Amino acid sequence: MMEYLAIVFSGPALLTIAIGTIAGVAIGGMPGLTATMAVGLLVPFTYTMDPTMGLMLLGGIYCGAMYGGSIPAILLNTPGTPAAVATAIEGYPMSKKGHAGMALKVSVIASFVGGSFSVFILLLFAPVLARQALAFGPAETFLLALMGLAGIISIADENSSLIKALIAGLLGMIIAVVGTDDMSGSQRYTMGLIELVDGVDFMPALIGLFSMIQMFELAGMHVQKVDTSTLHKKQKSEPMPKGISKHIALGSGTGTVIGILPGEGATIAAFISYNLSKRISKTKELFGKGNPEGIAAAEAGNNGCVGGSLVPTLTLGIPGNSVAAALMGAFIIHGMIPGPDLFTEYADRTYPFIISMFVANGVFLIVGLAFAPYLARIALIPPAIMVPVVSAFAVLGSYALNNSVFDVYLMIAFALGGLVLKKLGFSLEALILGLILGPIAEGGFTQGMIIGHGSPWIFFESNIAKVMWMIILLLLIPPLYSYYKLVRGKAVTG
Amino acid sequence: MTKKNVDRAVLALLIVMAVLLYYSTASFKGIAIKTSAKYVQFLAVFIGGLSVVQLGHSLLKERSYDLLILTENWPRFLALLISLIAFALVFEHLGFFLPAAIFIPLVSYLLGYRRPVVIGLTTVGVLGFVYLVFVQMLSVNLPGVTY
Repeated sequence: MMEYLAIVFSGPALLTIAIGTIAGVAIGGMPGLTATMAVGLLVPFTYTMDPTMGLMLLGGIYCGAMYGGSIPAILLNTPGTPAAVATAIEGYPMSKKGHAGMALKVSVIASFVGGSFSVFILLLFAPVLARQALAFGPAETFLLALMGLAGIISIADENSSLIKALIAGLLGMIIAVVGTDDMSGSQRYTMGLIELVDGVDFMPALIGLFSMIQMFELAGMHVQKVDTSTLHKKQKSEPMPKGISKHIALGSGTGTVIGILPGEGATIAAFISYNLSKRISKTKELFGKGNPEGIAAAEAGNNGCVGGSLVPTLTLGIPGNSVAAALMGAFIIHGMIPGPDLFTEYADRTYPFIISMFVANGVFLIVGLAFAPYLARIALIPPAIMVPVVSAFAVLGSYALNNSVFDVYLMIAFALGGLVLKKLGFSLEALILGLILGPIAEGGFTQGMIIGHGSPWIFFESNIAKVMWMIILLLLIPPLYSYYKLVRGKAVTG
Repeated sequence: MTKKNVDRAVLALLIVMAVLLYYSTASFKGIAIKTSAKYVQFLAVFIGGLSVVQLGHSLLKERSYDLLILTENWPRFLALLISLIAFALVFEHLGFFLPAAIFIPLVSYLLGYRRPVVIGLTTVGVLGFVYLVFVQMLSVNLPGVTY
């Protein structure tokens, strides 16, 4: 462990983590820019970097962006990221009443505790879980991908129906089929394009769906005037409210658990933590009017998601959410395939990466306590300035991985196609998860069919497979039940 | 065009794609017939089936006449798209810095920003940041930097 600590606490590593985290806070603070966008955009740039440094940079961005969204949410009622919406509900009324200093302090401390706790859980359980993956054969690998698909179902929300989320996931898996067939070596659906022989690269798709699409949306959006009056109010130093630690602990635990579930993101973690906090609060009547308990739970919840989402990503290759999917792309381009190898063969890269996220949490704690009111001004950067800068990075990032202009066109195509699908209520998170899970599912399925001599019973034989089927069913029941209630409710009211 | 109609068109396209995908597996050869073909058929059946269900649901229940609004400002949307394609076309030959030095101020202007000093400072700042952080500090190879 000491050698890993030595790697993290070397000068260049600390500088890289600090740059990543501060950049993450800034990106998270800009409405319209998300952690997925930032990580996805920068993954190709880490290709030529030292792998450990590259991963530390991305880890810092992930941690920083998750916290950064809360600053404009509190001061300007403009959540930097969707995960900070719950924070705005309580934070902005507090700012209006002149308690912005306290709200910012609660936010950064809760984010720090939630983030650190979840990284601790990652450090504790990931190696154990990864060792279990050694017992996985092709059948179990296929089931693992099905578990990820079960996560797709839970992605469905009020904006994307359950069936459309599944269709989007399957569409992603179909796109992943393009390229060379591993079984026969023949070309599938490449339309004679040599650039598609190795399949549709995951990075241009990710950059197109999560970065460029936002730029197209911002470019065509009418700019709304933001109330900046709270920025000019004098901030007084106030102590942390009594009893707040209970809500931070609740958010940290909830966020970490939700982060571990495939497909569940920081926004859901923040809202569930916020709602649970409201239930146990002794001052329920203050919720919605500026209750620091709500900020504490929501911020601990969304930052708790960070480490949690990396548990299935690093151990099983099933991304916990879209940011984790982008990070998984970074591991893959450095030849580090998620699973037990990460904690044995590549331990000298994986452990420093995990430890670096503790440092990243420390960095944003310092930055947040010292500079948060000034950082809120980032949210005031006009979209007309932000859009070309991010777009230039999107083009460069798509090109950089394979030095291919075709990937840039692919990125633009994914952005335009994704925009249409998004407006129609298809889940883009499900699409990208399908694209990632597709090759895993196909590899497991085809190898399983060979071992089972063409019989699908192989997918039910082992004890691990039986347990995995149970987990899949358990993952499916709650979202299906919620969807049933939603459809039934609509039928009654309609 | 109404959102409902575009939605139905997309679902119909997905159904056609599913049918074509299913029948395309007839051309698979060797071991792929019993492995990859089955997997592709599995995907085709599921996406086709779900699209039929969703289309049926839309035809029977959907009563909304909302228009599909991809953007609130088409000129700006198209300006970004065209600039982006032009940027992609030239930057393989000219490298990152020169095209970006034109792309960033041009798109800012096309998106309606009219403060040249801010645009200029932003462009110089971004390019300087990319050079210092990515090229010098992180040793990232950017296209065209060397010439």
